[in-house]
Amino acid sequence: MKKNVFSLAALLLASISMHAQEVKFEEYDLDNGMHVILHQDNSAPVVTTSVMYHVGAKDEHPERTGMAHFFEHLLFEGTQNIPRGEWFTIVSSNGGSNNANTTDDRTYYYEVFPSNNLELGLWMESERLLHPIINQIGVDTQNEVVKEEKRLRVDNQPYGKFIENVKLHMFKKHPYKGTTIGKMEHLDAASLEEFQAFNKKFYVPNNAVLVVAGDIDVAETKKMIEDYFGPIPRGEDIVRNFPKEDPITETIKAKAYDSNIQIPAIMTAYRTPAMTERDAYVLDMISSYLSDGKSSVLYKKLVDDKKMALQVGAFNLSQEDYGTYILFGLPLGDTTLETLLAEIDEEVVKIQNELITEKDHQKLLNKFENNFVNANSSVSGIANSLARYYMLYGDVNLINTEIEIYKSITREEIQAAAKKYLKPNQRLILEYLPQKDDE
Amino acid sequence: MKTKITTLIALFLLSLSATAQIDRSVQPKPGPAPKITLEVPGEFELKNGLKVLVVENHKLPRVSYTLRIDNKPHAEGKTAGVSSILGAMLGNGTLNISKDDFNEEIDFLGARLSFNAQGASASALSKYSERIMELMADAAINPLLTEEEFEKEKAKAIEGIKSNTKSVDAIASRVGGALSFGKNHPYGEFVTEETLNNITIDNIRAYYQKYFNPNHAYLVIVGDIDFDTVKKQVKKYFKKWEEDAGIITTVPKPLDNVQYTQISFIDMPNAVQSNISVTNNVSLKMDDPDYHAVLIANKILGGGFDSYLNMNLREEHGYTYGARSSVGTDRYGASRFTAGTSVRNAVTDSAVVESLKEIKRIKTTPVTAEALRNAKAKYVGDFVLALESPSTVARYALNIKVNNLPKDFYKTYLEKINAVTIDDVQRVANKYFSTDNARVIVVGKGSEVIPNLEKTGLTIKYFDTYANPVDKPVFSKPIPAGVTAQTVISDYITAIGGKDNLEKVNTLLVEADMTIQGAPFAPKAIIKRMTPNKFSMEVNVEGMGTLMKQKFNGTTGYQEQQGQRKPLSDKEIAEKKAEIGLFEELHLKPSEVTLESIVTVEDKDAYKVKVTKGDDTSFKYYDVESKLLIRNESTKEMQGQSLTSTEDISDYKVVNGVMIPHQQQITNGPQIIILKANTVKINEEISADDFN
Repeated sequence: MKKNVFSLAALLLASISMHAQEVKFEEYDLDNGMHVILHQDNSAPVVTTSVMYHVGAKDEHPERTGMAHFFEHLLFEGTQNIPRGEWFTIVSSNGGSNNANTTDDRTYYYEVFPSNNLELGLWMESERLLHPIINQIGVDTQNEVVKEEKRLRVDNQPYGKFIENVKLHMFKKHPYKGTTIGKMEHLDAASLEEFQAFNKKFYVPNNAVLVVAGDIDVAETKKMIEDYFGPIPRGEDIVRNFPKEDPITETIKAKAYDSNIQIPAIMTAYRTPAMTERDAYVLDMISSYLSDGKSSVLYKKLVDDKKMALQVGAFNLSQEDYGTYILFGLPLGDTTLETLLAEIDEEVVKIQNELITEKDHQKLLNKFENNFVNANSSVSGIANSLARYYMLYGDVNLINTEIEIYKSITREEIQAAAKKYLKPNQRLILEYLPQKDDE
Repeated sequence: MKTKITTLIALFLLSLSATAQIDRSVQPKPGPAPKITLEVPGEFELKNGLKVLVVENHKLPRVSYTLRIDNKPHAEGKTAGVSSILGAMLGNGTLNISKDDFNEEIDFLGARLSFNAQGASASALSKYSERIMELMADAAINPLLTEEEFEKEKAKAIEGIKSNTKSVDAIASRVGGALSFGKNHPYGEFVTEETLNNITIDNIRAYYQKYFNPNHAYLVIVGDIDFDTVKKQVKKYFKKWEEDAGIITTVPKPLDNVQYTQISFIDMPNAVQSNISVTNNVSLKMDDPDYHAVLIANKILGGGFDSYLNMNLREEHGYTYGARSSVGTDRYGASRFTAGTSVRNAVTDSAVVESLKEIKRIKTTPVTAEALRNAKAKYVGDFVLALESPSTVARYALNIKVNNLPKDFYKTYLEKINAVTIDDVQRVANKYFSTDNARVIVVGKGSEVIPNLEKTGLTIKYFDTYANPVDKPVFSKPIPAGVTAQTVISDYITAIGGKDNLEKVNTLLVEADMTIQGAPFAPKAIIKRMTPNKFSMEVNVEGMGTLMKQKFNGTTGYQEQQGQRKPLSDKEIAEKKAEIGLFEELHLKPSEVTLESIVTVEDKDAYKVKVTKGDDTSFKYYDVESKLLIRNESTKEMQGQSLTSTEDISDYKVVNGVMIPHQQQITNGPQIIILKANTVKINEEISADDFN
């Protein structure tokens, strides 16, 4: 016991010095407006080629939700030089892996290859941007596949409709009110011309960032990029003008039902600022304080000591235009949702009324430092971060400096953000309940 | 002692020089194959048997530790779950540090430490790495196994099981293991609320003593450390860990594969997708000469996006988001081949058929040279990509040790992959992938998928969500909003002609041909009815006269069989008297009827309405679409056995503005009687005398 206290004290005294582990990168624009970021790391013979497009679910026509995610499927169907059905074979037969994903804000495509296939990766991504084939066969096939994806990930999944229900109530005007996967009837109704128009509008070099990271020769790589991407014509500039939400001033109470669950859940959600705002970082720290690790406030109290919850959590869903701060709990035994909510609220109120301890503050900084080191552990992870920091934050160097933002956040700022954003009248209380059979 | 041996490995990648000018209509050729080297970890062993593998990698200032206790698989039987509860309890304080202080310190260091019953893993920044190792060792050697912590973890485990009762994937996984290996096999057994309740804290402590020991344990350390320093640290912190007395267990044999290919169906009415796995047990070890060929065969069949299964089920048919197959390896001879997918309810049968088709294809048709080349290239690529992570080297070294593999297993890995031939693929496909003795496990919504699955011609056996065999369930569907027993009945009344028309019916005469299954003669039946409850039925056989007669005149009645007359009993009279009117539905009280569910009756969706009169209950089934009554069902106790009798009603035709069924099939236990009406008359040719 004594030893333990001693070692903690010693650690507190130790300065938070870090190994230098700067991620070096070089960035520039092509004449057609495409942004390029290069990161060289020759320690393993692996290279990642990736393109992030600034198009997500929020850019969709309100009657055509799901279009952005649908494109993520459609753009594997083939190009003028890559026959339909060949995309994945080309990648795997050259020893590579690839995938893509879509959020409300952006769509991301990538390949990872042994480094002697860099040119192949660039060719494929440039083909996808320059002249993909968008035809009825592809639309029809992917329509079924996307429906299965929704059944798999949402409809058949315990708690799968939880984010959907939170967003539905949190956003009334902004397109964040919908889901990324969208409504299937919208996709059914979309004509081929609409798909083609979507491609023409958003899949243009001036709306994209190309990242090449790994075992590369910088000069050679630049030349190949110019060869493959340089000739792609620039598109129209994209104007975004999303409606602003009115502030939430009265508690929204709602219920949602899920036929895949037995244990209900209580959730509260607060609207918070965009991911680039300093307060979004502060809220990340509050989430960590509340529910990251066994000694975190909510876990320790509700799961460990009082045994009222099977699970509790807090997370800050950071997005480009707004954030959503979500707290949730699954009751254990006879605990009611009301009791669980009151217990969770009590801890939020404490953060608002008192400064967290210096030790807890230091603990948060240590956690974020650990996360920061681990975030840059793979070349493909670095590529993704570089693209994201450029496109959504407008500052690629955040990959090295973001930790400084967390380090500079004071205990007073944590208290102030909790007071400002986590007010009871600014939130949604969602009871997420089991749907009974035959109802 | 510090060793850092590296091996240069030949890559079997195509390597050509890049072209000078680009022609985007031509797929770029790969550049010269990169050189790769395979590091070998440093090793040492403590006196207590703990074997340590160390991989130095200074790219990032962090260290990770993985402790793996390599016990033989063992079933936990009546106390299944004892190991998972122990795992949840470990790493929460030690005999030297209280739980709160322990957890606080891990979090304070920004580190991660987690335990399970077979080991632990931890990671931390290098500056805290020694302290984390110390905490990990202390938690492993001197755990705090308190009653309080035990009760809490047990309650959480029970709740965890409850929370999964409606998860299709969780059930599929539980049943899959249990059916394939057997419920008593270590790989097939599962944890239930009951087994959790059997566990005591003493079981937990005994399990820890018996199984959590260093003599079969490996500690793998990867990251920003120095071999000599870390060796001293490991000795310091782990030397006090005492070895066990030696466990002697044998791993039981898994169940045999099924005798013939069949469907094992588990009904989950909430499912929107069916979870399908075509599976058979295999015995395959990593050092088996077939190993590399099996990897390639599986890759082509279902190991990637462009595999047979995925290209068929996803890309060609759009049935699924993805279809994959896998083959497990196991030192003890118990692993499975599985081809699995999740598909929407409507295409479940097609997905089963197509999956079996693709498995058959790789067994009967040689793969193309191109498919083989592509599969090999993917393995080479994966091998190269995996080297980016420093833990790969450690994983390879550990695999060699625990699986008793030759030392050069990974050095020769690509060479052996490259040596696989088209014939090898077909040979191992036939040896390891079964289409004749495959179990097709389908977890899904029976009411929507069974009628079509039955058409596949495969035998279907039914199981509950705990892998117990059950009779074919009656599948029910959700009832649409607004539909109640009353609406079903009033819809039926409207459908057969409306209340006004029905009330005008005073008498009903039916002359019908009767078929009694198994009987050599074809009788004719004359059935007469008159309001409110008069009834007469005569069965005649040509040349034999009257076979049977039943009469009820409103107050008394009798039954006559082959000339012998027997009066109706008081109970039978009371029952007859209780009937008021020729159409029961006109007189059912709301309190007597409840809408139970929607079920499938002869391929049709039907509302199942329960009718309760006094102590008697019976069921009526109304076609959801046509609204017509299609079945009556009642159960009677006879000599201590319950006998269900069903009356299937069909072939409705209009007579005097009322729809009258012209066919009835009565199933009484094993007996089946069919009545086909050739004459139906309303309010004609009947007098009160006919009922005496």
